[in-house]
Amino acid sequence: MLRIMPLALLTTLLVGIPVYWAFPEGLGIWRSAAIVSGWLGSGLLLANLLCMIREPWLAQWLGGLERMYGWHHWFGLAAYIVILCHPLALALDAWAEQPALAWAVLAPWQQSWPGWLGWLALLCLMAGMSSALASRTPYSTWRRLHWLLAAAIILAVAHLFVLGLDFPLLWSPLLAIGFILWRVVRADYGLAATPFVVSEVRSPARDIVEVQLAPLSRALDARPGQFVLAAFHDGPNFRGCHEFHPFTISALGALGELSLGIKALGDCTQHLQSLEPGVTASIQGPFGDFLSGQAAGRSLWIAGGIGITPFLARLRAGPPTSPVHLVYLYRGEQDAAYLHELRSFAQSGQHFSLTARESGSKAPAFSDLIPATPELPGTNCYLCGPPGLVAAAVHYLLAQGVPGGQIHFERFDFR
Amino acid sequence: MSRKLFLVATALFWMAVGVAWLDSRSGSATPVVPPVEVGKRFTLAEVARHATEDDCWMAINGKVYDLSAYLPEHPSRPDIILPWCGREASEAYRTKMKGRPHSGMADQLLETYVMGSLLAE
Repeated sequence: MLRIMPLALLTTLLVGIPVYWAFPEGLGIWRSAAIVSGWLGSGLLLANLLCMIREPWLAQWLGGLERMYGWHHWFGLAAYIVILCHPLALALDAWAEQPALAWAVLAPWQQSWPGWLGWLALLCLMAGMSSALASRTPYSTWRRLHWLLAAAIILAVAHLFVLGLDFPLLWSPLLAIGFILWRVVRADYGLAATPFVVSEVRSPARDIVEVQLAPLSRALDARPGQFVLAAFHDGPNFRGCHEFHPFTISALGALGELSLGIKALGDCTQHLQSLEPGVTASIQGPFGDFLSGQAAGRSLWIAGGIGITPFLARLRAGPPTSPVHLVYLYRGEQDAAYLHELRSFAQSGQHFSLTARESGSKAPAFSDLIPATPELPGTNCYLCGPPGLVAAAVHYLLAQGVPGGQIHFERFDFR
Repeated sequence: MSRKLFLVATALFWMAVGVAWLDSRSGSATPVVPPVEVGKRFTLAEVARHATEDDCWMAINGKVYDLSAYLPEHPSRPDIILPWCGREASEAYRTKMKGRPHSGMADQLLETYVMGSLLAE
């Protein structure tokens, strides 16, 4: 609860201040509803834009990047629904005056600049939302279509300006532009990124490469379990896709080196399988607090596929100080990345044991893998893997009496 | 779930817009303009006596309008429209926002506030 307090407070301010300042007095109910829905929608869009800013300190303050992206999604949807009510409430207000005026309020050819800009903003928002919620669109297309949403914000700001905006409300569109510029300049154009160079590449399993990166300027202050956003550029024989993608740190070197496990999941990550030493990279982060503040006592780690990387980084940093059991699931023998290394950690016998299982494409029977012992409800559980596997594991653990607060997981769903 | 919510909200929105369009095509949806009393004419001097926010008349294109009830609903800042109360405002009405006229919708709305015609002086 405490973790969402800063975001809840900021959202209340971003939504509450414009609605308070613009709250109408003495107008009809539909006219008032139109004004309130317009400003409520713009406040929710501001909160949506705030959650899009990618800065490690902000992410830490607002409860983590993954949580921020979740709120970005829901604020956007809420803003869209509220903003749809704005023209309809204006039409209802006109209808109450005279039914013939309702269509005159909506018909674009009966409008002037404020109406045209309002309609354009709404149509861009509609098209952008439609593409943003399409799960099967390739990531690069999805990203390009996301610019429609930025265009919608700019058009909405222009709509407000031509309506004639009083000073107390002027900060709202200016803040929206500021948030967009902040995100574009710092994150998308990489001003907030640190330069690294690929020093080593190896392939621990099918469709997975582990890339070691050496800092070209400063090292990142990262911990095992954290992730970074990395964009790979060009090298002697490699042309990068220059897109930022999230990757979990799989090892931290003494001189600030980072290792990242990269699985071929899309066009860009497939291309990254042919990375070579000498390729430059921009790294943003670190983000996340998975495995940090790990409570004392028994721990159960459940990893699926490339989800092994945060646990591997933790083991590579030194033996656990309290008992840890790792359940590692992989699709087939060729996908069993790092299995030899994990077995050697287990053989060293220092508070670490391993169950490794080939699970195929279906979720495994957890009752066979994780027996319902009396100790299980008191165990701290950490999960990382595909969403279906994580959901099935969480369901099983809750059914065995493990409290929700003791189940920690990471999903990397950044769309 | 969020995609379903988006689709339902979008469908409901376009249905509401469609209802407004269908309503405009029915005969009952012609704007009702209050009848101007024959011979009801006002001089600019009479118009000038109604120059406050609560009692705001304007002369626009040869007609006189009582816009007192409409002022709170005007989308722009009050300081843009208030100075025109009690005055001949045809030029201001035609050239809002860098020379562009008001919309067709505004023309329709304006006619619902007509009081009479302006007496040439």
